[in-house]
Amino acid sequence: MNDMQWAPIGSEPVPPPLPPTRVDFAGDRSVFRKMVTKGAMLELVTFGFYRFWLVTDIRRHLWSNTSIDGDAAEYTGRGKELLIGFLFALAILVPIYLAYFLIGIEFERWQGFASTPLFISFYAFGQFAIFRARRYRLTRTVWRGVRFWMDGSGWAYSFRAMAWGLLVFLTLGLALPWREASLERYKMQHTHYGDLSGDFEGDGWTFFKRGWWLWLLSPIAMVIFPLAPFFYAEFKAREWRWWLDGIRIGGVSLSSELPHDAFYGLYWKVIGWWMLLSIIFAAYLGGATMLVVKLSGLPVEQVFGPDNTAKSIPMLVMMVIGYFAVALAVNIIMRVYLQRDLWAKVLETVEVHNIGAAADVRGSGELASALGEGFADGLDVAGF
Amino acid sequence: MSELSTEAPAQSAKPTIFFDGVSSRRRQVTLTLGDAIEIVEEGGSPVRWAYADIRRADSPAGILRLAATSAPPLARLEIRDAALAADVTVRCMRLDEHQTTRRGVAKIVGWSVAAAVSIVCVVLFGVPLAADRLAPLVPKPIERRIGDASEVQVKTIFGRRTCEDPAGKAAFTKLVNRLRDAAGLDDDAMTAGVLPTSVPNAFALPGGKVFLLQGLLDKAESPDELAGILAHELGHLKHHDNMRGLIYNGGTSFLIGLLFGDVTGSSAVIFASRSVVEASYSREAETAADTFAIEIMHALGRSPKPSAELMFRITGKEGGSGFTILASHPLTEDRLARMTREDRPASGPPLLTDTEWQALKGICGSGKI
Repeated sequence: MNDMQWAPIGSEPVPPPLPPTRVDFAGDRSVFRKMVTKGAMLELVTFGFYRFWLVTDIRRHLWSNTSIDGDAAEYTGRGKELLIGFLFALAILVPIYLAYFLIGIEFERWQGFASTPLFISFYAFGQFAIFRARRYRLTRTVWRGVRFWMDGSGWAYSFRAMAWGLLVFLTLGLALPWREASLERYKMQHTHYGDLSGDFEGDGWTFFKRGWWLWLLSPIAMVIFPLAPFFYAEFKAREWRWWLDGIRIGGVSLSSELPHDAFYGLYWKVIGWWMLLSIIFAAYLGGATMLVVKLSGLPVEQVFGPDNTAKSIPMLVMMVIGYFAVALAVNIIMRVYLQRDLWAKVLETVEVHNIGAAADVRGSGELASALGEGFADGLDVAGF
Repeated sequence: MSELSTEAPAQSAKPTIFFDGVSSRRRQVTLTLGDAIEIVEEGGSPVRWAYADIRRADSPAGILRLAATSAPPLARLEIRDAALAADVTVRCMRLDEHQTTRRGVAKIVGWSVAAAVSIVCVVLFGVPLAADRLAPLVPKPIERRIGDASEVQVKTIFGRRTCEDPAGKAAFTKLVNRLRDAAGLDDDAMTAGVLPTSVPNAFALPGGKVFLLQGLLDKAESPDELAGILAHELGHLKHHDNMRGLIYNGGTSFLIGLLFGDVTGSSAVIFASRSVVEASYSREAETAADTFAIEIMHALGRSPKPSAELMFRITGKEGGSGFTILASHPLTEDRLARMTREDRPASGPPLLTDTEWQALKGICGSGKI
């Protein structure tokens, strides 16, 4: 059948604009669930060190099941890289923490709690880490045998993020759309796929028009608590759609029809699981207490009473076990709903226009080290 | 056996796609499975991949995606036809060699457990040892600087003023000096002051700053009650407990944070394990400071018991609530019991005369806060 003639795309001048193509996500949900369950357990027995491999597995699964124009992407990063990046980041962060501590003392001597603003420097460092971590992930993202890559400076990005952050703070959050637009523009303009350069065409005003009323209503959510998830889901969906609509890479552009209520279900499922787990945990604690009381044959006050450090240990152990079990379950739930399901939900609404522009792109760009991810991990700002 | 299907180009119902790793062009190719895979694009020069070089790359279900160690790192061959894929899979004996195996995972687990055990050992034995050895070696100026910093903080919390009534101050200085001499601390090793706040407490800061809060002074009924508590704080100074605590807390939170992958040390597990470990350490330090207070009071010919009674009046019975394993101080009733055992009839002169005691009580002025 190989004489069925497929004109190799790009072999002749660009054909007339093709209809938009869709992005397909073919990941099997139960495969993902099993993967994160196993990963969460391994994370538990390795005191969290397995996270580097689990995060890598999750990305490999999500990337390789995502097909654009019929060809699936691939994630080529590995857990070991993340571990090494983390260790390097530690070696750099430790002296910084020490310096922070010593400078803090000098500040405090001058004025009580004057060192609090020093904490801001860590926020700036976190922004730097976010940029560099994105660079790592992007250079491990491959589609059609060509990788994405990034230039630009992490510190320049961090400076922008800080300046805009201050403005958002001063305007009580109203400037947020413009902050996101500016930061996204910086990130996308320094993003490349082979020899194509990215851009971001979303503007703050559009985003503002889509979400200003959420900003106005947010105080209500603080009073009527159950409304908060709706508001957040509403905000997130609008943000995603605006973001996707703005993405350009070379002549390729994205658009999304993500409905504003797309995430209601996801967030409520997570909350439902949370409540269920809390109830189970409470019941477990109650049961464990009864058991300890019964086995020790002592009245309740005495089990928790003074001189009883030795006897409160079984209780403590039970609590720790329960805590870990809950942490494990929450871990799995968050990953299944907020990573996998959200990913699938967003992708099914995405349309890719003029994909022909990416039919013959020359590969370029260097691999970035995982140091950025290490910083992000060490500073607790890690993303996907 | 590789001769079986030589020469015959492997035909497939679904297209086989090749990306050469240099450009993103999607090339439809045919494969010839000889002693190596030959990838032929119509009108292009064939590419040969040796079977031993071929590795599996991530792909969605239904597609076999291959890479080769000898080819450009991103070159990919995608086989969509199941029969052809099976044929190729059989021939590539090192297809999955690079994947993380069960043994690889076991190795990760093993090393992590080893790292965790080593960190736990350092937290339990190394850090306390380091703190004990290093704390006395910290140069005085540094200790004083840290003390200055915390003094500024304390004064921000409790108000900037110290109590300055002259007669009360003279009495306070007399009491502190007698304790200091008995404790064998240098002249310049400490300063003391009373802060006007209703919180009943006393504490020592690094660099030898002892603060008595007015709330405690108001509750005290005799100089001995106060003296025992001040002597306890002097014990902390004598043992460099502040610096020890600082080194110890800094070290533990850093190491436990390291263990759970969060250097800033904020999440719940870290908080919980830190509380348990640090509380036990601080309980030891408190007990040692109590011992010291008992010795000083005996040296001065006074009983340590009144100070424990004062504490008991303030805290009441502590047991019966919460987990004692988390308490940073020994329980007050235990301390009272211990000090009662050490109770001796007074053999030395009173620490302050009645007039001095009244003056001390009024050090912050007559008005309550």
